[in-house]
Amino acid sequence: MTRNGAVLTIALILLVCGLAIWDRLDVRAQPPPERREVVFWHFWGGADRAVVEDVVARFNRSQDEHFVRAIAMPGNNLDLKLFLAVSGGDPPDLINQDDPIMADWASRGALMPLDEVTSPDEVERLRAWLVPAARQLGSYDDRMYALCNGLDIRALYYNKTLLDEYQLAPPTNLTELDEIAVATMKFDETGKPQRFGYLPDPRRLLAWGTVFGGDFFDEPTGRITADSEPIVRALQWMTGFRRRYGPVAVAAFRQGDQSLPGKSFPLLAGRYTMVMDGQWRVRDIVASQNEQRRRGVAVTQYGVCPLPAPLGGREHAGWVNGNFFVVPRGAQNQHGAWQFMKYWSGFDGYESEAAQTCRAGGWIPVSTRVVRQPEFQHYLTEQPLFAQFVELAESPHQFPTPVIPGAPFFQRTINETASKAMYVKGTPPVHELLHQATRTIQAQLDANKETRIVAP
Amino acid sequence: MARRESIGPLFISPWLIGFLLLIVFPFAASFYWSLCRYDLLSPPRFVGLENYQRLASEAVTGGRFGQAIWNTAYFALLSVPLSILVGVSLAVMLSWKVRGQAIYRTLFFLPSVVPVVAASILWMWLLDPRDGIVNEGLGWLGFSGSLWFKGPTEAAAPPSWFDFGSKDALVLMAVWASGNMMVIYLAAMGDIPTHLYEAAELDGAGRARRFLHVTLPMLSPVIFFNLVMGLIQSVQAFTQVYLVSEGTGEPAGWSLMLSLHLFLAAFQDLDMGYASAMAWLLFVVLLVATAILFRTARHWVHYQGVLR
Repeated sequence: MTRNGAVLTIALILLVCGLAIWDRLDVRAQPPPERREVVFWHFWGGADRAVVEDVVARFNRSQDEHFVRAIAMPGNNLDLKLFLAVSGGDPPDLINQDDPIMADWASRGALMPLDEVTSPDEVERLRAWLVPAARQLGSYDDRMYALCNGLDIRALYYNKTLLDEYQLAPPTNLTELDEIAVATMKFDETGKPQRFGYLPDPRRLLAWGTVFGGDFFDEPTGRITADSEPIVRALQWMTGFRRRYGPVAVAAFRQGDQSLPGKSFPLLAGRYTMVMDGQWRVRDIVASQNEQRRRGVAVTQYGVCPLPAPLGGREHAGWVNGNFFVVPRGAQNQHGAWQFMKYWSGFDGYESEAAQTCRAGGWIPVSTRVVRQPEFQHYLTEQPLFAQFVELAESPHQFPTPVIPGAPFFQRTINETASKAMYVKGTPPVHELLHQATRTIQAQLDANKETRIVAP
Repeated sequence: MARRESIGPLFISPWLIGFLLLIVFPFAASFYWSLCRYDLLSPPRFVGLENYQRLASEAVTGGRFGQAIWNTAYFALLSVPLSILVGVSLAVMLSWKVRGQAIYRTLFFLPSVVPVVAASILWMWLLDPRDGIVNEGLGWLGFSGSLWFKGPTEAAAPPSWFDFGSKDALVLMAVWASGNMMVIYLAAMGDIPTHLYEAAELDGAGRARRFLHVTLPMLSPVIFFNLVMGLIQSVQAFTQVYLVSEGTGEPAGWSLMLSLHLFLAAFQDLDMGYASAMAWLLFVVLLVATAILFRTARHWVHYQGVLR
């Protein structure tokens, strides 16, 4: 290649690179010059993303001071990206998350306490405005670091058509649940289970432990109490199914749920009479019933009830999680972030807008004031199954994963312990397993405390 | 001339800078972090050998790290020898001059070009305990099916002999994808001089003896290469483990490999010091294992033209 040829080639490469960079810069939606930008990271994808984009668009239309730029970051690396952004001094203004990481981030000084984003008085009003579950999800170390914008509640779905066939009523306590589970169990000619009346999921010990009256964490002493007597009884009850049907049959049946097309709701596939699941399954049920109507076949009826409690247990109890907003330390436009958080969650006069958002996304509001909006009430009359979840969300017995540093480790260890108890042959007794898990988590919690940097 | 030589380093500087920044620096930094408590956000705090002591205690008491060591060892010790055995056997069979030889070679090589994500999903379907075709087939033959990816059992260890669990399913996946090894064996077999076979035949060696005394020794350098590479890859197995266990090491930690444990410690528990210590320990173990293999190699690896 001649010298001129080389120069020309390099010039062309530089031109192409320059155009590509220019193009990327240009696609960035620029805020109107008189408004301040709020950079908002979220993880939403699929159908929910359209709902998010709609909320953002509505907020931007309602504003002449701030302009939200939403950046979707689906996947598992949001934490890492945030830490790098905070360390590099260029964090976003607002993040929406649903993993139990708030205490981890707050204890490391990565989040702004809400009483520094706005006034302490306003935060006090916010506390009173939220339902107890949302309040717990946002609080760590007596301060609020997060504002919940939607709750995920679990309840017991049942196949009403099947219960009617067996002339059984939905369970109101744990004994009735056990009776229905046994009565509606179905085996094939080889003795393999074809349908379980009910089969506890090891990933839901957090829910059943709470229903049995247990607490996984004692806040005043800072001790993990996952081996307390009610939780041991809950796991013993769960492993009763393994003792009755064998660990292999139980694990094989549970694995079969995974292979349903698109991981669809196993209750609809007729694999269970009763299943514990969240409010998002209501959509699946409605879609399935519409499909049955379209095909002109009999429509299967389903119902929802609270998790049935044993004697001495908690009524309307369960494990709750949800989506929440946090403001990273170093965020440039904290005031704008706060305005958008309020707009989405409905606090401070935005109840009607929040009702519209919750209705569009099928999300459970975080305040009874939003639930009471006429628009949302109308939605609840249209969706009676969903209404049951909304009612449960107001219960003081809905508890999240303990809001402690190392909560993901806590959740993983508890789930793994329950999984061992349910599926592994020759495991130690349940109380020993839980005791071991408690010690492991406590050690991690103590180590976290030692490294903890108190927010400046 | 001198000017031209001084320009040389300038041309390799992109690589050099990349190497220093992206490999040498993280390598050194991770060693320092392995001696610290570090959560990515606060500055690392020097704690000496605490992370290594924690690893040692978990290895002894059978904590999560101990379980991860056992799982990784089980997977490596089964998948590497089996992949070599299957790879060599296939290569021998595919070297036979039969009709459709090229088609067979393509078919057996195909699994190794399937992306690991697609292969994992395919195997999750095949090995589904309830509706999977493998258990269905075993059922026809009169065997009871296994739980495969969801099974907390080990077919090659007591007390669950022949009851296939999650690690056995991962071994099966690894062996299935040993087509790239097979191609290397095939190429190496083509390189074996025919006069060696002719000499052996003249000496009265049958097929089996020719294989044992000519083919295998001549393949030994390639087997050695695959052994070392296979060991390193199996100890670092991550993607398929993450996918089949939904990123948790389920069931009940039975498929928690070292790389997954390291990932969860670093990026979920923000325990970067502990994770770095684990990475360094893994590095040292691999280094020692490879060194041992190299020392044993002089007894069983034969290079053409090298006199002993």
